[in-house]
Amino acid sequence: MSEIPSAIKQDFRNAKKLEWWTLGWMGSVVVVMYFTMGASQAMKTALFEDVLSLVPAMTFLVSAHLEPRAPTEKFPYGFLRANSLAFLGSSVVLTFLGLFLAYTNGMGLMKGEHPTVGPVTMFGETIWLGWLMIAALVYSVVPPVILGRLKQPIAQRISDKVLYTDSLMQKADWQTGLAGIAGIVGIGLGLWWADSLAALLISISIVKDGITATRSASAELLDGAPRRLEGSGVSEEAVRLQDRLQQRWPEGRIRLRESGRYILASVDGIETPGEIPPAEELMDPGRSWRLGRLSFTPHGKEDPAHHR
Amino acid sequence: MISSLSGGAHRLFSIVLPSFALSLGACSIPRDPSGTMDRVEQSGTLRLGVIEGAEMNEASRRTLARVLDRTGSRPETQRGDSEVVLARLKKGEIDLVYGELAMDSPWSREVAFSAPQGLLAKAPKSEPVPRFAVMNGENGWLMLGSEASK
Repeated sequence: MSEIPSAIKQDFRNAKKLEWWTLGWMGSVVVVMYFTMGASQAMKTALFEDVLSLVPAMTFLVSAHLEPRAPTEKFPYGFLRANSLAFLGSSVVLTFLGLFLAYTNGMGLMKGEHPTVGPVTMFGETIWLGWLMIAALVYSVVPPVILGRLKQPIAQRISDKVLYTDSLMQKADWQTGLAGIAGIVGIGLGLWWADSLAALLISISIVKDGITATRSASAELLDGAPRRLEGSGVSEEAVRLQDRLQQRWPEGRIRLRESGRYILASVDGIETPGEIPPAEELMDPGRSWRLGRLSFTPHGKEDPAHHR
Repeated sequence: MISSLSGGAHRLFSIVLPSFALSLGACSIPRDPSGTMDRVEQSGTLRLGVIEGAEMNEASRRTLARVLDRTGSRPETQRGDSEVVLARLKKGEIDLVYGELAMDSPWSREVAFSAPQGLLAKAPKSEPVPRFAVMNGENGWLMLGSEASK
């Protein structure tokens, strides 16, 4: 199971390519935003969000490098969950950073800080920096929306939570850009509070992203039933597998959990049958690769969770 | 990821945004949240604070003259210690301050500094150089000063 299954090899390669594109493209957005942010809190917070959007891409690429590695003596089950661990860590960081930014921007709003966005001279012409900020924010919206749309179907085919959450965050990034633009236009119209308010909304969106990602990552680490990519409900594919296993072994107790992108199934209270059905019979068409393991435990040998 | 917009909100945006953009083009941007420029233009008086010991150089005099000309105002000058003058600027009791101010001064966060006046080379941040200061956030007023110093 350490090798990437051939059914998803091409999609996996494409996903890696898209994440490299994400690093390059979003890196350029971060540079443009950094040089134009000035004293705008909305720009600064949007910049934070853009830097944070690099984290899932990096997480994916690091775990994609680890996942195909062969198991070792110290890690006999391989590194399938490297991605879950990294994802949980980064989503917790995302949540706390969002809370910190929400606090800072909320305080700025309460203190009534008036942001100064002054002139900038380019090619001998003096223009208001706010116009450059708006141009940078418009640019910052384009790459994530395109990349998010390209990633989503691949994430569904290869059952990758990191990639899916990443694609969702990116698809919604235009709202951050729009909030930032509204903040800068607000400054332009003499509404000092517009900038801090926009920054506060963006920070709340970071917290929301963080909580979604944390819930998704922690379910797997607690050996929860395989979850749907969207939302936190149990995946329909897993329910169907559970039903098929139950039909074959009605007296057994079926339990499913997730390890990385794979489903691990155990049938408790049953001696290992002489003939085990192939994964193609148990899973939906084209999805047999997802059944990582099917194990049987005879009555009386189940793990402690079984007796509770 | 701010909560997604419904179809109705999309339609609303498609109507509101262009009209918003048109109205932006019609008025001067950026505007001052505390209305410094409007006040100076309406009252015809520019309350100028000059930090004790600072003498206006040629470039600063030219900038000030252009600002007075564009706002149709006359200066009402008050001299004082930098702490006093800049604190009054922060409170909105003065419209413009002139003095020799270093970019790394703690006041650079409390009020907004203009570019150095009459200097060709870039000055180190710690060096006090002739410049104007305005109240924080008065972006239209700051733009006017910057255009006047060209």
